[in-house]
Amino acid sequence: MNPTRDCGRSIEDLSDYLETGRSDDALHIEYCPQCQARLAGLRGLHAAALELLDDDVTSAAADEPGWLDAMLANLRLETRAGRSIPLTGGPHETLTETEGSVIALVRNVGDSLGGVLIGKCRLDGDVDVAGAPVDVNINVSALYGHPLPALAEELRQVVMAELLVQTELNVATVNVAFTDMREVAVETDTAERGEA
Amino acid sequence: MTPSNSSANRLADAPDAVLAERAGDGDVAAFETLVRRHGPLMRAYSRRLMSSPAEADDVVQESLITAWKEIGNLRDGTAVRSWLMRVVGHRAVDAGRRRKSHSNVADQHELPDRAPGPERAAVSGSAGQALSRALAKLPEEQRRCWVLKEYGGQSYDDIAQTLGISTASVRGRLARARTTLVTELEEWR
Repeated sequence: MNPTRDCGRSIEDLSDYLETGRSDDALHIEYCPQCQARLAGLRGLHAAALELLDDDVTSAAADEPGWLDAMLANLRLETRAGRSIPLTGGPHETLTETEGSVIALVRNVGDSLGGVLIGKCRLDGDVDVAGAPVDVNINVSALYGHPLPALAEELRQVVMAELLVQTELNVATVNVAFTDMREVAVETDTAERGEA
Repeated sequence: MTPSNSSANRLADAPDAVLAERAGDGDVAAFETLVRRHGPLMRAYSRRLMSSPAEADDVVQESLITAWKEIGNLRDGTAVRSWLMRVVGHRAVDAGRRRKSHSNVADQHELPDRAPGPERAAVSGSAGQALSRALAKLPEEQRRCWVLKEYGGQSYDDIAQTLGISTASVRGRLARARTTLVTELEEWR
């Protein structure tokens, strides 16, 4: 069972060739019956592996319905607090809100507009110092068919308004970066248009 | 209230990258959407790496905890699927090490003990099932390498790092595994 017997090409060389489609030895491999037979074997193995993976994923999804819910319930995910943002309190109290809660606020207000989904949101600046200027940088995934400049302007306005009400941040700019354009399923698309 | 409803719908068909960014910012719903999307694959992978379905589920659970903690550091959200798989691979190998150091049980070569349901029985004559039987007969160290490569899509270097062995050893184990598996499949045909 020595794979390097005869023509001297190992199963490793042939696996690499199959994966990359390149080999210094390509000419030999092309015309060597033994290499061709081994390549056929490796291709068959690859096909069988895809089949088995498919089969495994199907049974992994279906075995014991509810397993995924149980795992998620066990997680007890805590939201990320981030920095503490000061709020004006009475003389003997310290009031703060967390950076995480402000970012969640931006996400929620952004999502409520039709046609966008908020990605990463960053508060750049010394948010823990009262009155320090802060830039809000938002990544946005947009749906096709929505004019981007208008969308960005609308998003800036609602985010600015919400932050003015819910925080005491000195927001200098709200910067919107469209990082992704998405097509949506037809029925969702009609729903979006209905909302807009 | 439609907003929360429609936002949940939108998450369900949002791309991985957006969900990963949101999860990194602490959006629990986005993380859960990612888990629902990739959980079955993670579980399937873990089952091939571990020797029992219960151990496999423990590994998935631990992987999800790690993933939630670390997803904020993920640079490329489009790669979240392979990143999740890498987390499972690492956790599985760690769990395997712990099991060995806590007991003297010899390597268990048998497959996860799953009763053949109707679906399994129906496909038992397929190439996939022939491969499954062949995999069960491989030495554990070879099977692990093969599963990390073919299911996990890890590079030789990644596998070497995960297993704490040299890249040359990984290549050697994979070559031996493939030689045996190809032969077994040819015999089955």
